[in-house]
Amino acid sequence: MTQTLRLPAPLLAARNIVTFLLRQPTSAFGVIVLAALILTALFAPLIAPHDPYVQNLNNVLQPPGNGHPFGTDELGRDIFSRLVWGARITLTIIFLVTIVVGPIGMIVGTVSGYFGGKVDMVMMRVTDIFLSFPSLILSLAFVAALGPSLNNAIIAIGLTAWPPIARLARAETMTFRNADYIAAARLQGTSPLRIIVKSIMPMCLPSVVIRLTLNMATVILTAAGLGFLGLGAQPPLPEWGAMIATGRRYMIDSWWLVTFPGLSILCVSLAFNLLGDGLRDALDPKQMNRR
Amino acid sequence: MLDASPPRKKLVEVKNLKMYFPIHTGLLRRHTGDVKAVDDISFDIYEGETLGLVGESGCGKSTAGRALIRLYELTSGSVTIDGVDIATLSAEQLRLKRPTMQMVFQDPQASLNPRMTVSAIIGEPLDEHTTLTKAEKLARIYELMDAVGLNRNFANRYPHAFSGGQRQRIGIARALALNPKFIVCDEPIAALDVSIQAQVVNLLEDLQEKFGLTYLFISHDLSMVRHIADRVAVMYLGQIMELSARDALYADPLHPYAKALLSAVPEPDPAKAARARIILQGDVPSPANPPKGCNFCTRCPQVIPVCREVQPALTEVAPGRFVACHLVQPTALTAGPTGGTEAKEHNQQGATR
Repeated sequence: MTQTLRLPAPLLAARNIVTFLLRQPTSAFGVIVLAALILTALFAPLIAPHDPYVQNLNNVLQPPGNGHPFGTDELGRDIFSRLVWGARITLTIIFLVTIVVGPIGMIVGTVSGYFGGKVDMVMMRVTDIFLSFPSLILSLAFVAALGPSLNNAIIAIGLTAWPPIARLARAETMTFRNADYIAAARLQGTSPLRIIVKSIMPMCLPSVVIRLTLNMATVILTAAGLGFLGLGAQPPLPEWGAMIATGRRYMIDSWWLVTFPGLSILCVSLAFNLLGDGLRDALDPKQMNRR
Repeated sequence: MLDASPPRKKLVEVKNLKMYFPIHTGLLRRHTGDVKAVDDISFDIYEGETLGLVGESGCGKSTAGRALIRLYELTSGSVTIDGVDIATLSAEQLRLKRPTMQMVFQDPQASLNPRMTVSAIIGEPLDEHTTLTKAEKLARIYELMDAVGLNRNFANRYPHAFSGGQRQRIGIARALALNPKFIVCDEPIAALDVSIQAQVVNLLEDLQEKFGLTYLFISHDLSMVRHIADRVAVMYLGQIMELSARDALYADPLHPYAKALLSAVPEPDPAKAARARIILQGDVPSPANPPKGCNFCTRCPQVIPVCREVQPALTEVAPGRFVACHLVQPTALTAGPTGGTEAKEHNQQGATR
């Protein structure tokens, strides 16, 4: 245990978390699916058998098989290739939303929780305003105002996804704020900013990471939903939600148009949920001994 | 170390320190009252001495200790440490003054950041207040670890890998890092095993001798206070009831509360064990709503009518002995009125000598 916690080994710790996750079937599923997603996105040009944008009107709505493992869509594009390239879009959305939402939620939450009083009051009321709308509706409103595009969808999702993180970070901060080691830091004359960055944020990090991971499923679904409504990624981008939206019209006769993108969304969001659950156990200090 | 030489320098002067925590109730969070955790206390601590601060749980000892080094914003009063009134300093001035005063906490587990190594914990104050190079800082950290009896090889371990006594040593090393003059020890031994308590107390004594430290030693362990303190203040419900030199207090407590408190100390010698125990009736009143008059009047076995009306001031009743009680009148000294008005005029001990 001491070995795993040695300072120069954050990598060692990461490896331990991964082994812990792989030991349970559910979180192992999450890790494997996400690893597959990342690899697919990285090597999309090598994996995809066809160009995702090239149309072949002689070959529309072909059922799976015959050179097109998942069939072709209404414009004769290979669905498998589009799914593979779509992984890049999904990952981009997740990555951008995470780097926007994590820091914003963390800063708002820790500052609000550490200072309390009026600062807390103002920041939490703003958070409340965001929380009082269903996130999909609020994202819709933002995209409608900003204009439909993938980037605007990401911005809109980012703007609506930070409040729960802020709430969480605030609650965590309030449990540490009066701890003796924070008092000790104040006693050394450490500035509030430094206390927040050096002492409080690291303590909040595990629960924020877990929450972000669990949030990813919602983010993917929201992005897909926006794509489905035509407010996210625009054609011909192979975004999974948009693929379902266009495939909807041919659903009765050509089931493969909606089934495979739908399964992809299902798998990835399920994987994030299971990974989040697994991470909750893996990052729980009480479970450290089991690693 | 004992109180021998007459003219000693006051390092800490506390005057009329009040620490109230507001109570807000109702929908509008209106300010409806205060928890008077520390209600108007005054005392001095001389350079190089150990002042013991005793009292039962919830009497405000820890709050007093924390307010003294401004971990809380004081409600009113002044605290002069080493010639500077820290109660009114701005944040930046206070930051520069921080190295003078440090604290050793009660719970060594909670006072060490679980995500920092020992060297990072001890080095944190050095980062904040010095511009040492990495090598110099490490040398200083090792020096401090030696001073408190920690093995240098443990510098890169995390707090959870240590026993309670070792963790307390880490806490002490951190407190010593900036060469403080004054250390508030807030029940530093309460969370430790008895065998370890002695080690830590001896360490504190050695360090006091070595570095010329001044301690405020907060504890409810009367025997340990008797061992380490030069003078002892007895607190009850946010106020100081008696402040006397250690030997005088333990031999002959003057205040009825001090008598009751000291009679509760277990006596290891069975031959002497048949002494009279003073058992107080009832509970401590709420500090949000202290009784009128003397704070102790609801439980005092010797209560007289005036106690319920007038709050007694802390008065020097004999050389070096300060008592806040209507029943204890000044003897040797021609001190001012014991009770008188409700004026919060406290004599300063040492001022007349």
